[in-house]
Amino acid sequence: MFRSMLRGVVGAGFMAAALTTASAQVLEIGADNGPTGLDPHLITAFPSFMVVNGNIYEGLTAIDKDLKIIPSLAESWTVSEDGKTYTFKLRSGVKFHDGSPMEAADVVASVKRLLSKDMASPLASRLSAVESANAVDAQTVELKLKEPSAALLSSLSVIAIVPRAMETNKDALQKTPVGTGPFKFQEWQPNGYILLAKNEAYWDKGLPKLSGLKFNIVPESATRQVGLTNGQYALLPNIDAATALQLKGRPNVKLAETMDLAYTLIGMNVSKPPFDNPKVREAVNYAINRQEIVEAALFGAGVPGGPLSPALKSWALDVKEFGCYAHDPARAQALLKEAGVAMPVAVSMKVLPRQDIKDVAQVVQEQLNKAGFKVELINQEQGQFIQDWRNSNFDMFASINAGQPDPDEYFYRTFRTGGSTNVFKYSDAEIDSLLDKARTLSDQGERKRAYDQVQKKLACTGPVAHLTYGTLFSAMNDKLKGYDVVPNRSLMMLRSASY
Amino acid sequence: MKSLAKNKLLTFAVLLVAIQLILAIGAPLIAPYDPMTQSVARRLRGPSDLNWLGTDQLGRDVLTRILYGYRTSLIACVLAVGVALLAGGALGLFAAYYRGWLDRIIMRIMDVLFAFPVMLLAIGIIAVLGPHTYSAAVAIAVVYTPIFARLLRGPALVLCESEFVAGARAIGSSDARIIFLHILPNLASVILVQTSLLLSAAILVEASLSFLGLGTQPPTPSLGLMLSEGRNFLMLSPWSAIFAGFAILFLSFGFNLLGDALRDTLDPRLRGQP
Amino acid sequence: MSRVLLARLIDLVIVLFGVSIIVFLMIRLIPGDAVAIMLGANTEITPERMAELNRRVGLDRPVIEQYLLWAGAALRGDFGTSLWTGRPVATEILIHLWPTLELTALALTMGAVLAVPVGCLMAQTRGGVADVAMRIGAIAGLTIPSFWLGIVMILLLSAWAPSFASLGYVPFSEDPLGNLQRMLLPSVALALPILANLSRLVRSAMLDALGQDYIRTARAKGLPERRVVYKHALRNALIPFLTSVGIMTGYLLGGAIVVEQVFAIPGLGRLILGAIAERNYPLIQATILVVTAGFVLVNFLVDFLYILVDPRVRA
Repeated sequence: MFRSMLRGVVGAGFMAAALTTASAQVLEIGADNGPTGLDPHLITAFPSFMVVNGNIYEGLTAIDKDLKIIPSLAESWTVSEDGKTYTFKLRSGVKFHDGSPMEAADVVASVKRLLSKDMASPLASRLSAVESANAVDAQTVELKLKEPSAALLSSLSVIAIVPRAMETNKDALQKTPVGTGPFKFQEWQPNGYILLAKNEAYWDKGLPKLSGLKFNIVPESATRQVGLTNGQYALLPNIDAATALQLKGRPNVKLAETMDLAYTLIGMNVSKPPFDNPKVREAVNYAINRQEIVEAALFGAGVPGGPLSPALKSWALDVKEFGCYAHDPARAQALLKEAGVAMPVAVSMKVLPRQDIKDVAQVVQEQLNKAGFKVELINQEQGQFIQDWRNSNFDMFASINAGQPDPDEYFYRTFRTGGSTNVFKYSDAEIDSLLDKARTLSDQGERKRAYDQVQKKLACTGPVAHLTYGTLFSAMNDKLKGYDVVPNRSLMMLRSASY
Repeated sequence: MKSLAKNKLLTFAVLLVAIQLILAIGAPLIAPYDPMTQSVARRLRGPSDLNWLGTDQLGRDVLTRILYGYRTSLIACVLAVGVALLAGGALGLFAAYYRGWLDRIIMRIMDVLFAFPVMLLAIGIIAVLGPHTYSAAVAIAVVYTPIFARLLRGPALVLCESEFVAGARAIGSSDARIIFLHILPNLASVILVQTSLLLSAAILVEASLSFLGLGTQPPTPSLGLMLSEGRNFLMLSPWSAIFAGFAILFLSFGFNLLGDALRDTLDPRLRGQP
Repeated sequence: MSRVLLARLIDLVIVLFGVSIIVFLMIRLIPGDAVAIMLGANTEITPERMAELNRRVGLDRPVIEQYLLWAGAALRGDFGTSLWTGRPVATEILIHLWPTLELTALALTMGAVLAVPVGCLMAQTRGGVADVAMRIGAIAGLTIPSFWLGIVMILLLSAWAPSFASLGYVPFSEDPLGNLQRMLLPSVALALPILANLSRLVRSAMLDALGQDYIRTARAKGLPERRVVYKHALRNALIPFLTSVGIMTGYLLGGAIVVEQVFAIPGLGRLILGAIAERNYPLIQATILVVTAGFVLVNFLVDFLYILVDPRVRA
């Protein structure tokens, strides 16, 4: 009896599966985590970013898969001689998902919303150079800056343009986003899925090709993998090497890869011993074997990396330039002796709760312990980790950070004295003056020279031991065409994908 | 014939538990490797003559980590159930012995704690204490306290009415003396059976919590954690997840069978009840 | 009978009151500033936001007043709004309740229905090697970690029948067959321990009953054996069976938390685990309170049925 019932259910399941693949073109995506909110001015975490960026919302500019700045809602722009005034010509005929037209007033309102104290947006620091935003006419926006900002155009790619009515409403967009993007929000089943439907009125005619996106939230890696191989999900975006390795060569599955902008790191608190001593920080760098971390935690799919991702070809220095990147535990011990700290140096390391970071932390712990340290790992929940991170309540931490397309976007807020995410309490006059200068330079060569100096200094004695840049993968059904993985983890290419 | 089968079962259960206890206690002597030593070149291997149960994602020996995992699980669970037994047992006995309002208050509080589904209360406690092996142990101890209190109060009530307790009172024995020397020994078999069964359940709870990332944390070897880490690499090498699962099963199974067989032997009337 | 019922009802109220106090105190036991920790999951704080949150959680009033406000609101079904999604907590719980209820109901039904024949079989083969084997099997079923079983099932399925595995969750109302297909594996993983437990119960109740006088009488009257077993003996097994079902619900809820994670079912387990990662204490509080209250009520109903079924208690 039970058997025949089972067979009935199985058979019906096959039929149902066949029906759904034939009728719909909603792309089924398997995501590991659900977003905590959808307000583009409040979210920074990958699970939210992935849904929102480039799909629901767009900025004035966008970043393409080669990390080049391309026009998005702004058709074109001009920069004044002194670099302090940007004038954007907006694309015409763009409508928000609620039907209202996107005009200069919306851009101005979006900038004001982002910068308002009330919003307390974590993205506000990206626009810290902006003094004022004005609508010249319905299709022209002028941004006045306090000082030249070389990273502005890159930063604007993550500043979503929202309807002007939202300027004073800080709750509505968390639940029901309204943007200009190729897909519009339809349904959010918490812990279940987020469904986006095709925006029929999208300004780029002919796009999107898919009739919708469904982000299925599937926490279990094995379950996602089975879902992809059996055709239930068509895309697993931004997966790590271990998952990619397991999907490699499976029937109907293809992989896309790129160098990740995100990097794994060990942060050190320089406001208290032992990491207030630059020699101890240098010792950490000597003690770490980055190649081994690449092998162990990234399954060989990645590279040892300095302060800037190798994906930023026009900025990043080769790691051979950093002397302390040569793995040398003896040198590390010698430095610790010079520093005059009691060995073994007992420190705790807080660990971001992600499997890859937990692995990285365990490998680093082993390496440091062989070079005169005694590291205790402290595992925390996400909320507690971020809280301690923000309050500089740590000796060391192991984490992964999203990288930025422009060096200023990362360096200034992280390493400048008093920078908004300088949780290390790092303060160095030379770095400060270099960073202050570099962000106002317009000559690429001059800027590069300044950032070369910054990289060299930060690499060995900075408050962060940069570890690795991984290869970022996406696994997809081989029927999915026109999608590619983007280093900043945006899924904006889905607009031109077809399935 | 039947009693022989019964004793065989008990012998089997005792052996099963004893072997696992010895493995856990002797882990540092028996284990072929150091539980922390990583070897990336030999990661995610299947069973071989070098690593009998294969290696995990960082190339650590699975057998070694299972042996140490037994230790972690057993220490946490024995501690938790032990505390629950002491606290719950004491409360149950006092309630039975003194009766009246003390009894009523104690048992009401126990009712309240007993009302929580185990995993849910454990999760609540961990939300307060933060994820750690000992948070999981505290959670288990709190949840199991009312079970022991209820378990011991009933029989203790009957005993308190009995003639020999009345006799002990008459010759002026102190309350503590009566409780610990006269009442408690008579409840030994009930306690033994229940402790064994609860240990079996506690092992599953600890493993579940560690699996969810709320119990033991890396790099400490723990069975639930091994399963949780191993599941990310199932298609590359399922061995560490599979063997860790079997280890949890054997450990929990051993204690449950022991409890079951003990109950049969010590109290034939209860034979076969869950 | 009504007096017994009334006494149980008073117990119920006392227990629920106690539960609410413990859940309420939970948030006050968190070391450090609970509000600051809650805000930790967001990346920037302003004093205004902090004050607002303090007001929302109500931590700025005397404890007793806080409790009364909180409990009063909870009785009206108002648990405030979730800190991050802005949805009412009650709605969040309701959305996540159905998948968990369905999962537990399916597992319970599956386990209970299969337990009767299995238990009878066990009773009939008592004493032999088969009996011992089944007992060991039952204990193994009881102690097998359901999350592990779930993972192994997914693994085997992907190896042998990759096209069968449908994962995630579809509401029954939208796609009944798809729903059942997706629920099959997770409920089997959860049902196994239920089956193991209940079948042992059926077995011992059967053994007990078969030795009783009235069964002997029934047999002597020449009633067919099957009728003796099923009608008379099984009825006797019903009472412990019922009590057990109440306790099993608690176990099932715990098991469901882990199994939901493995099979991507958007139930209460996922809700509470997500809330823990975000340190969303009001949501954790409310979920624990609601689920525990539900659990207490189920056990009360079981008691009630027990009183109905068993004439001895009525007296």
